[in-house]
Amino acid sequence: MVAQVARPATRPAPEETTRTRRRRPLGPALGHFASFAAPGVLIYACFVLAPILVSLGYSLTNYNPFNPPTRYVGLDNYQLLLRDDQFLTALRVTSILTVIVVIVPNVLGLAVALLLDRHGWLYNALRSVFFTPVILSSVVVSVIWSRLLDSEGPLNEALRALGVDQPPGWLSDPAVALYSVASIISWQMLGFCVVVYLAGLQGVPVELQEAAAIDGAGPVRRFRAVTWPMLAPALTVNTVVLLISAFKAYDYIKVITNGGPGSGTTATIAFNVLQTGFDANHGGYASAMAILMLLIVAVVTAIALRFLQRREVDL
Amino acid sequence: MKHGKPSWLRPGVAITLAAVFFVPLYFVLANVFKPGDLIAKQPAKLPLPPTLANIEAVLTRPDRLFWVSLTNSIVVTLLSVLVLIVLSAMLGHYLARTRNRWTRALTLLLLCGLMIPPQVILIPITDVLRFTHLMATLQGLVLFNVGYYVPFGIFVFMGFIRAVPVELEEAARIDGASRMQVFWRVVFPLLRPATASVVIFLSVWIWNDFINPLIILGPSQGTTITTGIYRSIGQYQADFGSLFALMFLATLPVLIFYLALQRQFVKGLTGGATKG
Repeated sequence: MVAQVARPATRPAPEETTRTRRRRPLGPALGHFASFAAPGVLIYACFVLAPILVSLGYSLTNYNPFNPPTRYVGLDNYQLLLRDDQFLTALRVTSILTVIVVIVPNVLGLAVALLLDRHGWLYNALRSVFFTPVILSSVVVSVIWSRLLDSEGPLNEALRALGVDQPPGWLSDPAVALYSVASIISWQMLGFCVVVYLAGLQGVPVELQEAAAIDGAGPVRRFRAVTWPMLAPALTVNTVVLLISAFKAYDYIKVITNGGPGSGTTATIAFNVLQTGFDANHGGYASAMAILMLLIVAVVTAIALRFLQRREVDL
Repeated sequence: MKHGKPSWLRPGVAITLAAVFFVPLYFVLANVFKPGDLIAKQPAKLPLPPTLANIEAVLTRPDRLFWVSLTNSIVVTLLSVLVLIVLSAMLGHYLARTRNRWTRALTLLLLCGLMIPPQVILIPITDVLRFTHLMATLQGLVLFNVGYYVPFGIFVFMGFIRAVPVELEEAARIDGASRMQVFWRVVFPLLRPATASVVIFLSVWIWNDFINPLIILGPSQGTTITTGIYRSIGQYQADFGSLFALMFLATLPVLIFYLALQRQFVKGLTGGATKG
């Protein structure tokens, strides 16, 4: 610590860096790391990094905590997965869910934000209305909607009263349930997108809008040429957050449909990992699934980020 | 107005949309204060006259599910957020100020944690916790929360710390303050907006968290607010009054928290959106 204080305030010239680094006493640097960084890094390593490595290890075995001994099976789990109908269904379900959940709240959120982009108590209050579901627990949201959408629930009762003979089984029809779940998630995430887009809209300079208007641009043209490009950072935030939320959707499915109706019509990969790992205790197989899931999330997020951030830079 | 549209159009459309959007929430709010037999028959009706029977039923359950869950959720949320603030502020400061190959790699490694779905780590986590005898304990859940959310904490703090002039810290160091003193007395007070963001987001996330307490606290031992609701779904079967009352009570603390800090909520959210 003392040596650090005595260090001259001016930084060493760049070409000296390597030599200075070697000569600089290691003790204070280590002390600094130990006191400021080590606790956080250590807990992160124990509870996130190490488990990922362990997962990777498990995925190469037939690990089942209730059925020892555990054997090394190489890539068998992965090969099995790629031919496993249940997994391929989950992959399809996850993709559909993700596409809907990324697009719907983004589009509707932008529309609502444009509508609410005015000052005054009314618009503030309405913004709060749209934001409220965001702070609710997904379990609460799931319970509310599963009651509302029950085949004998209020929505279908209302439809029957309106003269619809056979209202859809929103959550009991295998062809509909996934779209219902996606809509529920979209409903909860909408307010998030609204608030982020509203913030983006505040950042669009009024002068730019006025200049475009003077040049004769109509509202649509002004939106496409001025507002929309300026909203690029908001689009990035919303898309990445929605992408990650959709991928890890588990709560909704566990509470609303438990993977059904039928065989896995709403079972996402995130759902199957935990069902396989904890209910069926196939730790090895579930870990292989989890590792594939991590890879998919990482690749898709990285591509989306790169694409979206390039749009921001192009401004 | 500018294009000759009637002036009531925008507020009219906005109010209508918001009303439709609010229907599910109205449905719960109305039925919390309605006697059980009316919920099935007239779900959409206003609760007149309102009754507190459902809320009372939840508060006076013989197994004290609500009170136990509430205590667990408060303890876990408070402890996790407190530890997370201290650890991620210091770690964020370390990473923002010590810039070399190693810290850059470490930062990247930590930020990767932002997108890791809990499913990927939960299976080994239960083994780690069982091995350290922390499985099915609140401490175990707190430790997990700290590890899992530290990336978010440093992500927010690092951005703010870069905006604090280093000269401020150097001056304090020259005056003889230790690194710890400089951080807690000079830097940390300047990070209040960042701290507010982290507290707000993490409190809501941890309070609402379902999957992690469900698995770490195990099937029977402890419940948090969310896993308590999940377990009551089966118990309450057709008693939606009690179920909704439980959900209402479980949400009340977050709702109050949100209403009290509304402005900071939006600011925290949008700081990220405008800076990218």
